[in-house]
Amino acid sequence: MAKVSIRLSGVSKRFDHTVKGEVYAVRDVTLAVAEGELLTLLGPSGCGKSTTLRMIAGFEEPDAGTISIDGKDVTHVLPNRRGIGFVFQNYALFPHLSVFENVAYALRVQGKDEASIKRDVTGVLGLVGLANYERQQPHQMSGGEQQRVALARAVVFQPKVLLFDEPLSNLDAKLRVEMREQIRSLQKRIGITTVYVTHDQEEAMAISDRIAVMERGQIVQDGTAPDLYYKPKTEFVARFIGRTNLLDGRVLSAGEVEVEGQRLPLSTGRPVGSTVRLVVRPEMIDLAAANPGEPGTGRVLQRTFLGEKTDYDIQFGNTRIQACRSDAFRGAAFDVGAPVRLKFDPANIHLLA
Amino acid sequence: MAAASSAQSSHSWRRVARDPVLLSTILVVWVLLALFVVFPLVELLARAFVDEGKVTLGPLLEIVSNGGHRTALANSLILATAVGIAGTALGFLFAFTAVRAGLGRHWLTLLDAVVLLPLVSPPFTTSISIIFSFGPKGFISHDLLGLGNVSPYGFWSTALAETLTYFPIAYLTLRPILAAIDPNLEEMAFSLGGSRGRIFRTVTLPLAVPGFANAFLLLFAASLADFATPLILGGNGFPVLPTEAYLQITGLFDFKGGAVLSLVLLVPAAFVFFLQRYWVGRRTYVTVTGKVGQRSRTRALAPWAGVLLVAGCFAVAALIAYFYGLLVYASLVVAFGANNSFTLAHYHVIFTEGLPAIRDTLIIAAIGMPLGGFYGVLVGYLIARKNFPGRRAMELVAMINYALPGTIVGIGYLIAFNDPPIALTGGAMIIVACYVFRYSPTGIRATVALLQQIDRSLEEASSSLGAGSGETFRRVTLPLIAPAFFAGLGVVFIRSMTAISATIFLVSISWTLITVRILENMTELALGPAAAFSVFVIVVVFIVVAALSAVLARFRAPTAGTAARSFLGG
Repeated sequence: MAKVSIRLSGVSKRFDHTVKGEVYAVRDVTLAVAEGELLTLLGPSGCGKSTTLRMIAGFEEPDAGTISIDGKDVTHVLPNRRGIGFVFQNYALFPHLSVFENVAYALRVQGKDEASIKRDVTGVLGLVGLANYERQQPHQMSGGEQQRVALARAVVFQPKVLLFDEPLSNLDAKLRVEMREQIRSLQKRIGITTVYVTHDQEEAMAISDRIAVMERGQIVQDGTAPDLYYKPKTEFVARFIGRTNLLDGRVLSAGEVEVEGQRLPLSTGRPVGSTVRLVVRPEMIDLAAANPGEPGTGRVLQRTFLGEKTDYDIQFGNTRIQACRSDAFRGAAFDVGAPVRLKFDPANIHLLA
Repeated sequence: MAAASSAQSSHSWRRVARDPVLLSTILVVWVLLALFVVFPLVELLARAFVDEGKVTLGPLLEIVSNGGHRTALANSLILATAVGIAGTALGFLFAFTAVRAGLGRHWLTLLDAVVLLPLVSPPFTTSISIIFSFGPKGFISHDLLGLGNVSPYGFWSTALAETLTYFPIAYLTLRPILAAIDPNLEEMAFSLGGSRGRIFRTVTLPLAVPGFANAFLLLFAASLADFATPLILGGNGFPVLPTEAYLQITGLFDFKGGAVLSLVLLVPAAFVFFLQRYWVGRRTYVTVTGKVGQRSRTRALAPWAGVLLVAGCFAVAALIAYFYGLLVYASLVVAFGANNSFTLAHYHVIFTEGLPAIRDTLIIAAIGMPLGGFYGVLVGYLIARKNFPGRRAMELVAMINYALPGTIVGIGYLIAFNDPPIALTGGAMIIVACYVFRYSPTGIRATVALLQQIDRSLEEASSSLGAGSGETFRRVTLPLIAPAFFAGLGVVFIRSMTAISATIFLVSISWTLITVRILENMTELALGPAAAFSVFVIVVVFIVVAALSAVLARFRAPTAGTAARSFLGG
């Protein structure tokens, strides 16, 4: 791994909850972000990802643990001395300042001279595609434009680290895709270490070098998007990233598992007779026509045509299976109520711990 | 996460200690509060309850056993109750009319202006007009009704004057509550077959109940603390506690007796304050969503009822307008009722003989205004935005002088600052300090309200961009809370021009006030100059309020309106 830029060691944060008493928002989080890397904290709302981010920024102080940036302990350093660019979900543009003054803010605080402020602000506004917006007031702009101003404002003073707190949640779906590509390309161009918070797994997979999935204040798994998708460590990760089928199987022998009456060649390394949980993604299941009453088949409950693919809901023994097919290469569709044979490729089955 | 709050006091200490600007600001505010709020109150209590180094309830028992004082206490409570009920009813009449009668915008503006007039007037305005109207030579009692020798003094005239002076408070309290009751609720009940009268009883009134309670308590407290009206109109037959305390000190030079009397007032005042703040203040059925749909004129109000409401309002408005017209008229004639020929002599008097009072008042208002405005914003900011130990205590202490009846504050200042180590009595600074700490809480509350609408992330953004807390305050917070600042300025200025209950104890030969001169004129029966002074104050206050409103209108922020409202509501 490259040089570490941000390091969290054993960081915890408690809050007083009015009903539940003292609760952990973040519990014993240890994390390292490499220089120039974009790491995403992904999780459902209330999992502690924003609190973690806000502790890196210095808006919150941890109750335990340390945070360091570029090898310097900043656990108790005020936010204004950390050199961090922060992009907020609600943009947080200063409503009384023009676009130019919003972006120039950090430079003015640093006491830069007028000429270099002008140069830097113009440059960074060009970078985010807002070259002629200098004189606009924030409230005259669309949400996407406002977020680009916020982005320009966060990078103009060349911070060591860039933090994003659900920056795209307030934008509509199409704009979200556009903006996340823009954020990613800007981040790569200036090569800045970035921590990005989102609850949207697709966004996380699209933008990140690495993703840390959080659940109830803890990081449950971190890795690249394919790691998380193909090799989830827990049921939570499997369910949170993409669509998934969880199947219970019984180990028949060293190289064979039984699932809903089907024998699959799969070496688990588990004792014979023990139960295992298997993760199978919908697109990994091949479907074939079958005769009614044939063993090891399922029945189509629902069919949803989505254009590039068709989703199937299938009753398979005691479980409901989601499967999908790209019709272009695989022939005719299956009707609701029709028996189908499910074909599992052992290479694409992941065994949960 | 946003809902939960961090309560790590050791952390907040450490945080404050690392922020020298914040730390020193908090310390300075506490020193000021200790000096100008806590210290006078402690001195007052000590004067009342400590005798030769021993705590004693002797003076209190002495006062309470005095039949005259007991009557004064009873009178105070009866008067406050009457004013509370009548003022709330009147306020409801106006608020309901404004919200539901479907008046045009210009009529509403006119109604608003008439209603707010009493709030920005010097305290004796209505009293003077009542004497002019109902005195032995009064316009109504003598000229119109031909009655001889009636007395305008006593319970009824005092209650009338206070009701007309304070009902705008009820109006300002009830109007937003009524406005927030969705007319759809009433129309829905109407469509379900309820009669209009039934809807009013079963839907509208119950929803407004918390507003009624709140308005009543505010009026009760205002009347309880009112000093000027009963002093003029109460007469010998209707003593109340604030006037008794005043006479005890200025007439008998009995500081201890005055202190104890003013403290007797504290019991009901404190009771009402906590009732209002912690009970009624939190009970409101109406949630203001900010979603304003198309509001057509509601059909749940019968046409004849609408006419009746408007007629009632305009009758009261006409009475107020008549009182003010009378005041202007009386200031322009030689001797009202006796010699009605035109003269500018009274204005000549106030600009020659009265000039020192005018000059002193304006100087004091001009010093107090910026100090009070800045102090209000600063304390409001600390309370709303900073997490430091003792924050709640600071909020409470900062409100004390505002909540206390003026008589208590005035006597407390008089006792505390009469002697070294801090001898301020006789100077201008004691009056300025009294105004700043008594009337800035309006600015504090406006600031807190405004800050609650400004997302915290703005300050965090500034902080992440490298600005310390002082710089963030200057560059971001201050410009955003400017409306609250100007509202704070306005209130301090208005009160500096019109207040008397506390400062009457603090004036001296070298520094006096217009309101005190008006009182002197009244007692000397020089009603012409008193009227001229009152007109002058009203004109000055209106000019300043108009100027500040123009400044406020320049802030496009939607929050400016809220601050402007709090202008007069305090």
